[in-house]
Amino acid sequence: MEYRNVLTTCPYCGTGCALYLQVLDGSVVGTLPVKGHPISEGALCIKGWNAHGFIHHADRLTKPLIREQGQFREAGWDEAYNLIADRFSSFKSDFGPDSLAVLSSAKCTNEENYLLQKFTRAFLGTNNVDHCARL
Amino acid sequence: MTNSVLDLEEADCILITGSNTTEQHPIIGTRILRAHEERGAKLIVADPRRIQMAIHADLWLRQRPGSDVAWLNGMMNIIINESLADEEFIANRTEGFEEVKEAVARYTPDVVERISGIPQEELRQAALMYGQAERAAIVYAMGITQHTSGVDHVKACANLAMITGNLGRAGTGVNPLRGQNNVQGACDMGALVNVYPGYQVVTNPEFTQKFEEAWGVTGCSDKVGLTVTEMIDAAERGEVKAMYIMGENPVLSDPDSNHVIEALQALDLLVVQDIFLTETAELADVVLPGCSYAEKDGTFTGTDRRVQLVRQAVPPIGDSKADWVIICELAQRMGARGFDYASPAQIMEEIASLTPIYAGVSYQRLEEQGFLQWPCRTAEDVGTPYLHEGQFTRGLGKMHVVEYQDPAEMPDDEYPFMLTTGRNMFHFHTGSMTRRSAKLEQESPEGYVEVNPEDAAELGVSDGEQVKLLSRRGEIQAKAWVTDRVPRGLVFAPFHYAEAAANVLTNPALDPQAKIPEYKVCAVRLEAA
Amino acid sequence: MNRLEALRNAVGELLDKVEGVIALRNKSGHVAPHLFREREELNGLGLSPKYPLPATLRLIQNEYPEAKLGIVCRGCEERGLIEMAKRNQVELGNVTVIGLACTADEAEECRCAKPYPSVLVDAHVGERTEPVPDRVAEELRQKEVAERLSFWRSQFDKCIKCYACRNACPQCFCPECTLEEELWVERGRVPPPFPSFHLIRAMHTAGKCVGCRECELSCPAHIPMTALYALIRQEMGEMFGYEPGVDLEDQPPLVLPMEVEI
Repeated sequence: MEYRNVLTTCPYCGTGCALYLQVLDGSVVGTLPVKGHPISEGALCIKGWNAHGFIHHADRLTKPLIREQGQFREAGWDEAYNLIADRFSSFKSDFGPDSLAVLSSAKCTNEENYLLQKFTRAFLGTNNVDHCARL
Repeated sequence: MTNSVLDLEEADCILITGSNTTEQHPIIGTRILRAHEERGAKLIVADPRRIQMAIHADLWLRQRPGSDVAWLNGMMNIIINESLADEEFIANRTEGFEEVKEAVARYTPDVVERISGIPQEELRQAALMYGQAERAAIVYAMGITQHTSGVDHVKACANLAMITGNLGRAGTGVNPLRGQNNVQGACDMGALVNVYPGYQVVTNPEFTQKFEEAWGVTGCSDKVGLTVTEMIDAAERGEVKAMYIMGENPVLSDPDSNHVIEALQALDLLVVQDIFLTETAELADVVLPGCSYAEKDGTFTGTDRRVQLVRQAVPPIGDSKADWVIICELAQRMGARGFDYASPAQIMEEIASLTPIYAGVSYQRLEEQGFLQWPCRTAEDVGTPYLHEGQFTRGLGKMHVVEYQDPAEMPDDEYPFMLTTGRNMFHFHTGSMTRRSAKLEQESPEGYVEVNPEDAAELGVSDGEQVKLLSRRGEIQAKAWVTDRVPRGLVFAPFHYAEAAANVLTNPALDPQAKIPEYKVCAVRLEAA
Repeated sequence: MNRLEALRNAVGELLDKVEGVIALRNKSGHVAPHLFREREELNGLGLSPKYPLPATLRLIQNEYPEAKLGIVCRGCEERGLIEMAKRNQVELGNVTVIGLACTADEAEECRCAKPYPSVLVDAHVGERTEPVPDRVAEELRQKEVAERLSFWRSQFDKCIKCYACRNACPQCFCPECTLEEELWVERGRVPPPFPSFHLIRAMHTAGKCVGCRECELSCPAHIPMTALYALIRQEMGEMFGYEPGVDLEDQPPLVLPMEVEI
């Protein structure tokens, strides 16, 4: 029997509202607003109130998928990593770094965006890295 | 935003344009409404649609989509003629005023009315209301930027703020509302084609050297990369062979979806890392299961440059992994060095060490203080609630002459309606999360198009009936919402719904500078389905 | 001994006898509901701002109906628990209540008619303060109907349909909510159609609303809806002699006992 609230930042628009995820025995069961937060001041919009709604959805991807003869099959992480590593390396050596392109994400964290552009620039060797800022 | 969400409460006048604030940034919207209703701040809304903010506004200007340069120039012209310009601010803080003054003089009220449809008297009232305010804030969003003249629209907003001295003080500013939780942060972190983290340009050898040294590599490219839309075109031409897409869904979010799908199918390898099998992931060769925000630690940077913590609430679902873990493991697998972090906090230490505007940001400070607004240059720096106090980043604020141009595709006999696209209150972007949230999906379960009652009557379409929308790029079918939210000749469709995907119709024409597509205007035809 | 220390002692003592105590936790200045299991956690005990703890009890009892639990209750929260118990939303048999009296300032802010608990309480913390009349409701009561209507219309026009009023309300627990039924409230519209959304909600609080103000406190548009519910509460009192949250025995007039044939 464990119930706690985890303070976090809303995953939807850029306003920067804070919310609590209500966690009961390892599952997110609800959202609460954060009273006294400078931006959201104890309020949320309907999306914020439902920010827990998709976390445990049955459609969540839980294993890497690899396409084989047009169909996806589940795969282990090692197999998926090796496949990507081999193919990216050979594109890079055969066609040059600019034959690769990377889309980072306005939904992911700063740290993740930093890492993906670092990987793209430092390792793949291209500035073909963008995200949906314009979309 | 040049200013903060909080200091909108200190504005005497708020001009909202191209932002359906209530539905896209609801908690900023209610803050603005409260400033208006409880404190008496004047509210001007310029929007083609009768959105909730327009109903509450002191003045609602209903411009034609894409005509923003015209009415903004027109407002400046009136402000200058009425001697409401802030001459001291112009003289001390800006350059280029004379040229702008000369250019805007051509945007007389009758010219503006002809281009924008805004009645002359309303434009005059708006100019006086904004011009006479002690503190006036401009708030805008994608309605300003998503045009082939998007950069000009933003420059016009900046000109208006500069000629009235509405920058560098609380309650003023030019305030774009960013549409995604961490779009500000993704830009700050250099997930852009031309800059390293902290907007350090890739074409400057000094910065390239700095990052190469820090990362222990050589050979970082000094060539500006391809933007999203350019990548898609390059993929179609076979120049880009492989793409790695983390947490984005261009099939629904990019203009001209059919073209995007063809391009992605032309790739030799498509890797998609996401939490759901999105319309884009369905096209992938390899799909990697990432984690939602609830399963990882990290930071998001909000629209007012506010860095805040994201905290892990539950362990990753199934065999999924936090996205930062996936990037590190893949990089290491490929032999890259410098991807062995113990935690996101440690990644932030590296970010802070290389990014001057984030130099003072650390998890410890965020834990203790809740947030930091960049620029935050040292561990003692309390951060920056509003920019440009006393001086602009470049010294003097540059005013740019901008002239009105038609959107790339205007209605004609074949495609007589203007289509504008956007989001609604209940869904977010391509819907991959909100359409899987039962309460949100219940509220708005299907795609629709807003049609003016007179147009609907002419088409013989009743509220709730299916209509066909056709553009030069494709066609969709959606339910008609017959409503005077839209004026005659304009229809609005949200782009959340895969089964009625508005971006099948949109025009991939780009702003030449920002490379932003013209989502807000294209020509369509309507037919009863 | 200040209020927080006294509360910490009371919760600590209770933890020896129950499996967990529902109270507020203060972490770096952010306060949220929490289930305290160990005395060691009590350094992080918080007092305010208040959150609807009865709703937390309901959530935990749904999973653990047999658990022996404690809960910290203010006056409004005790009233809430009483109404929830009458509708089988919480089971009070296994629950020990630590009563927390509100300060005069807190009572003032909430326009609270009874800022201290007294019915279910096993241990008391804090000094009782005087009731505060709901002046917002009183002012509205004095107004003409047309004036009231236009006041509420202008308030409800600000609504962004976040459902915070419903979500934050410990008394809102229907598995199917009328506010979400297309028949009554057209879906997907902002603001929601006047007056159906707000008046349906107001009517549904009749006989249940105990004036805890959680709805108002979480409303981004600052709609003073508690005042509307207070007026309905007064009408209910005059018509049926029923006041929600006062004691466990009184049956709410809008709830029919099961043995009555319809």
